[in-house]
Amino acid sequence: MLTEYIYDGTFEGFLCCVYAHYYEGKAGSITKVNEDSQQAFFTGQVIVETDEDKAMTVYHAIEKKISTFDLRRAYRIFLCDSPGKEMTLLNYLRFGFIKGSYVSNYHGNPIVRDAELLEKKVTRELDRLKGLLRFSVLEGNILYAEVEPDNNILEFLAPHFSDRYKSEAFIIHDLKRDRAVISKGGRWYISEFKPEDVPDLHDDEIRYRALWRDYFDHIAIKERTNPRCQKQFMPVRYWKHLTEMQR
Amino acid sequence: MKDIYEKLKILADSAKYDVSCSTSGTARRNNGKIGNAQESGICHSWSADGRCISLLKVLFSNKCVYDCQYCVNRRSVECERASFEPEELVRLTIEFYRRNYIEGLFLSSAVEVSPDYTSERILRALRMLRNDYGFAGYIHAKIIPGTSPELVHQIGLVADRVSVNAELPSEKSLALLAPQKKPEAIFAPMKQITSTLIERRALKGPGTMFKNDPLSLMDGGDGIPFLKASGKKELAVIRKQGIFAPAGQTTQMIIGAGEETDRQIIKVSENIYRPFKAKRVYFSAYVPVSDSPLLPDPSTPVPLTREHRMYQADWLLRFYGFRADEILDEKNPYLDPLLDPKVTWALRNIERFPIEVNKAPLEDILRIPGIGTTTALRIVRQRRVSAVCYEDLRKMGVVLKRAKYFLTCSGKYYGNSPDLNPIRIRREILGIADEEQLSMFRTGTEIVPAGENPWKGIR
Repeated sequence: MLTEYIYDGTFEGFLCCVYAHYYEGKAGSITKVNEDSQQAFFTGQVIVETDEDKAMTVYHAIEKKISTFDLRRAYRIFLCDSPGKEMTLLNYLRFGFIKGSYVSNYHGNPIVRDAELLEKKVTRELDRLKGLLRFSVLEGNILYAEVEPDNNILEFLAPHFSDRYKSEAFIIHDLKRDRAVISKGGRWYISEFKPEDVPDLHDDEIRYRALWRDYFDHIAIKERTNPRCQKQFMPVRYWKHLTEMQR
Repeated sequence: MKDIYEKLKILADSAKYDVSCSTSGTARRNNGKIGNAQESGICHSWSADGRCISLLKVLFSNKCVYDCQYCVNRRSVECERASFEPEELVRLTIEFYRRNYIEGLFLSSAVEVSPDYTSERILRALRMLRNDYGFAGYIHAKIIPGTSPELVHQIGLVADRVSVNAELPSEKSLALLAPQKKPEAIFAPMKQITSTLIERRALKGPGTMFKNDPLSLMDGGDGIPFLKASGKKELAVIRKQGIFAPAGQTTQMIIGAGEETDRQIIKVSENIYRPFKAKRVYFSAYVPVSDSPLLPDPSTPVPLTREHRMYQADWLLRFYGFRADEILDEKNPYLDPLLDPKVTWALRNIERFPIEVNKAPLEDILRIPGIGTTTALRIVRQRRVSAVCYEDLRKMGVVLKRAKYFLTCSGKYYGNSPDLNPIRIRREILGIADEEQLSMFRTGTEIVPAGENPWKGIR
């Protein structure tokens, strides 16, 4: 009989599910607890309490018995916003505990392939957003960016931008998850964030937006116009927060 | 006096035919102020033509004393002229960079007064950006042929990447279309840059082209050898001057303005990759901007397909271990408009196939059409632990539509018929029924014998 595990949605919580899978009963499904509603629990469902010791046991086991690369990969997959990611990841780790550090070599294996695809979603979005994120300058010279990423990648964006803008103070606001990176002087943290906390635009902001739009229009070669190609690289769902696509 | 809005429009319009936009090849860190560079490069936007925007690409000035026929900024053309002030340009770069619009600055210029005058102005702006503003983002600086070696060196010390445009693939075209640009003036700075990079032990070379090939010290065609790599002590002294163009140099050529064959162009690229170790050779499909009788008629379509096939051939040179003579030979001086150059090469050399994916060395797997570099590495990685079966190939990213004719998986062939008949394979890949000869090009409705130019009239 397979167990349906319910956990708190944290990475530590997930690692405890992996622990439970090995020591308490094989997992048939792993789902994040539904915070909004009074959830009714059915027989066969087990709530996994997040326990730091158990989480660390699994954490070190992945690092030692599989590899550091796969531990990092596991975390990237965990940040993917895809239903069923927990089971995909569990299957990958189970296969990893058998094959050791060679697990990532099995590119043709469906378990590895599924994990690779989820990881790709996260890394691709991260690479895209490093370029497509747009800051506005606010009063007091604070940089402010709004993003709605498909995956929960704020903490991967943070080190990139806080290194880049060491002399600036900036906020990257994830509108979907009501969280934000707050950074100043190369140091950063992530916290809950509400839109009412945002100051007004700096006086120069409109002018630079206009300049950027002018530049964007004039750099295109008319004779080569190719909207399909443009959309392929810059999917329409990101346009909402792109200065140059807002007219 | 023009305002910044007008200047930006004019000077972006004049710069847009420069192709290079990449920001890869270097990882730069800042010293507490602003900017960094990521080894893989970052694209920030894509303009309406689908080309990526990662750098603020502008000319410093479009006031030109030269009269190159193919150029929008040539002296004889009537157009709006403008020049930036260094402060203006630097401020604009910083403000765009803060907003994450761009990855850095691509600065080129028309030749205002003289090459040295122009280069000095470029250098002044770049130094202001690096030194006064502490900017550590990406800078790509254009080297204008005829600039004095000392200025070239100083620009290299502030830029991440430098480039000298070859412009046209033959001396004949250059003499005809850009008589004020001499081949010596183009190749001298290229050679100087390579020499400096060798001296500093910082020469990387294009793609994986020289992975197994020591960076042989050839001369650049003028009989004078490159500088020698410095010893440890000298190197420490030299490095104190600063880092010289850590992302190397590139160049670009216009495709379809002159009468060159594809083979000539690929050979020129190879010659730039081989002695000069340029990171990239860019191709720019000629957009008819001039009614000069020396150039294609203004109604000629922009040769986009040709540019695309040229880039595919370029990738074969840089990442797949091909030599120019393999891609095209004297009997076949043009690329096939309908098929990628790897497929056409494979069809001409069908006796080398099929290749067994579980046994063949990486170099051979890279030669199978439909298998790219990433996929080839996956195959090699997996077969160390487990045999690769046919179903695995698709999951790894192999394009089986093309690849299946050229490989075996544990001894089994998956093409439609076991005889490897190139004419039939070509027909099947293209999905056409008629009995066409392998030596023919089909260009839309017309059929052209191989050896003749198939590109006339193709967009």
